Amino acid sequence: MRVALPVWQGRVSPVFDVAGQLLVVDLQGNQEADRQVDSFEGLNIARRADRLAEMGVETVICGAVSRALALHIQGHGIALFTCVCGTVDDVLRAFQHKTLTSQRFAMPGCCGRQRRRCRGG
Amino acid sequence: MDIPSDKKTQEIILDSIADGVFTVDTQWHVTSFNRAAEQITGVPREEAIGRPCCEVFRASICETACALRQTLDTGRPIVNQAIYILNAQGDRIPISISTGVFRDQQGNIVGGVETFRDLSVVEQLRHELEARFTFADIIGHSPRMQDLFDILPQVAVSDSTVLLEGASGTGKELVARAIHDLSRRHDQPFVAVNCGALPDTLLESELFGYKAGAFTDARVDKPGRFAIADQGTIFLDEIGDVSPAMQSRLLRVLQQRTFEPLGTNQPVSVDIRVIAATNKSLQELVNRGEFREDLFYRIHIVRLTIPALRDRREDIPLLIDHFITRFSRLRQKDVIGVSEEALAHLMEYDYPGNVRELENIIEHGFVLCHSGLIQLEHLPPNVRGSDRSQWITAPQATTLENMERLLIIDALRRHQGNRKEAAKQLGIHASTLFRKARALGIELPATDGRSHKE
Repeated sequence: MRVALPVWQGRVSPVFDVAGQLLVVDLQGNQEADRQVDSFEGLNIARRADRLAEMGVETVICGAVSRALALHIQGHGIALFTCVCGTVDDVLRAFQHKTLTSQRFAMPGCCGRQRRRCRGG
Repeated sequence: MDIPSDKKTQEIILDSIADGVFTVDTQWHVTSFNRAAEQITGVPREEAIGRPCCEVFRASICETACALRQTLDTGRPIVNQAIYILNAQGDRIPISISTGVFRDQQGNIVGGVETFRDLSVVEQLRHELEARFTFADIIGHSPRMQDLFDILPQVAVSDSTVLLEGASGTGKELVARAIHDLSRRHDQPFVAVNCGALPDTLLESELFGYKAGAFTDARVDKPGRFAIADQGTIFLDEIGDVSPAMQSRLLRVLQQRTFEPLGTNQPVSVDIRVIAATNKSLQELVNRGEFREDLFYRIHIVRLTIPALRDRREDIPLLIDHFITRFSRLRQKDVIGVSEEALAHLMEYDYPGNVRELENIIEHGFVLCHSGLIQLEHLPPNVRGSDRSQWITAPQATTLENMERLLIIDALRRHQGNRKEAAKQLGIHASTLFRKARALGIELPATDGRSHKE
């Protein structure tokens, strides 16, 4: 499974719409097989979603995201965890252990929202 | 009676403010968060306190240009910077922010404060105003453009022949299209022909068409632009550039609404509206005997003049916004505007190529700028060069006399040597300009410039 997280200073980037870097992690079962960083600098929201699809990303874990970008991402059939905060390693570990919906990883003011796992397409 | 504690008093004061206010410590953790901040961000105070400010505030600048970080690094406040945040529902909220620094008694920085104002209503009003300043893709809020917008609907419904005058790049074709779109012919063809771009023989076959066998390569009939435009509008651009022979043929079409395709004597009747355009003064061409007077009066029924961009500088910011929105969509970039310094240069520039040149300048900016604001270094060198501050810092511009010299030379250059216009720009009489120029040793152009004024 290919998972992507916008990252900034070792944490999940607060706003995906303007995040400059994307960490792409390949998971095989609960093991991390590969990780790479891609630049998202200067991309508008439509291009961000297109790029995720081009990279074969299946799940995105991010912080705040505008409705418009969320719709673009879901339009590509990509699963989306929003309003997530925390260090990259903690968040990835929680995702692998299916504990990402814990209140610990919820951005302030987003408690109900981040628990929803959305998938479009 | 209970007297509120200091902290409680501060909280009451902060909650009474209509602007959002939050404070942070040196580790960027939120230490206070007022009621307006709760309302604007959608984040309850108890959830905000103690959390990293970027996770609470979620602003477009948190990663790249945090205003609080700049203030804490430099000690200088930021006032009314326009950005957007994402509220808890994922809505983009436009806000303006201001920042300040907290210091202890020894002057050490111990935290910062950020105040922010919701601009959603202002933005909504701005969009409504933009709609008022846009007329069928033509943009302008200057009095001259507003006058044009006022008259266009009446011109459009009249079905009269229209002459559009304006320098290259002012948007003559846009105005012609607007007239067509507002006319009763709007669902019929709009056909544009650049008369200046084609030699006579080609223009003739292009306009009137030909019958098979009219000349060696004419194997099948080809309808001309007049026939294609039947029931609709034909836009004859650069009409001042057509030859005298072609002027005669055009006159006949305008008079009789009939023409003969090449290779036949059978006249074809058409019902068309003619809109002609020129970047020259047709009156002057008539005076010089280069344009037929009868044709001039045939097309000079309703005349509209489209002002040059340098004569409606107040429209420049509006046009910049328009092009940035368009290129952001086309180029899929997150460019949000131009920096103050870049805007100052764009306002100063002369735009010999008018709106089209401004569009090219913004496109140039998009090539070099990936996101955020288009900066001065992203503009073409000729635009960056029009910098008054460069004059001030230049060694030769250190005296009042030198400044006078530079301003006079610039005014003369802007008005192609026209002393009267240059004096008018400088706010002095033409004779004063002449006297000052002589005293400062400025060589005045041999010709006055009035003869080639646009």
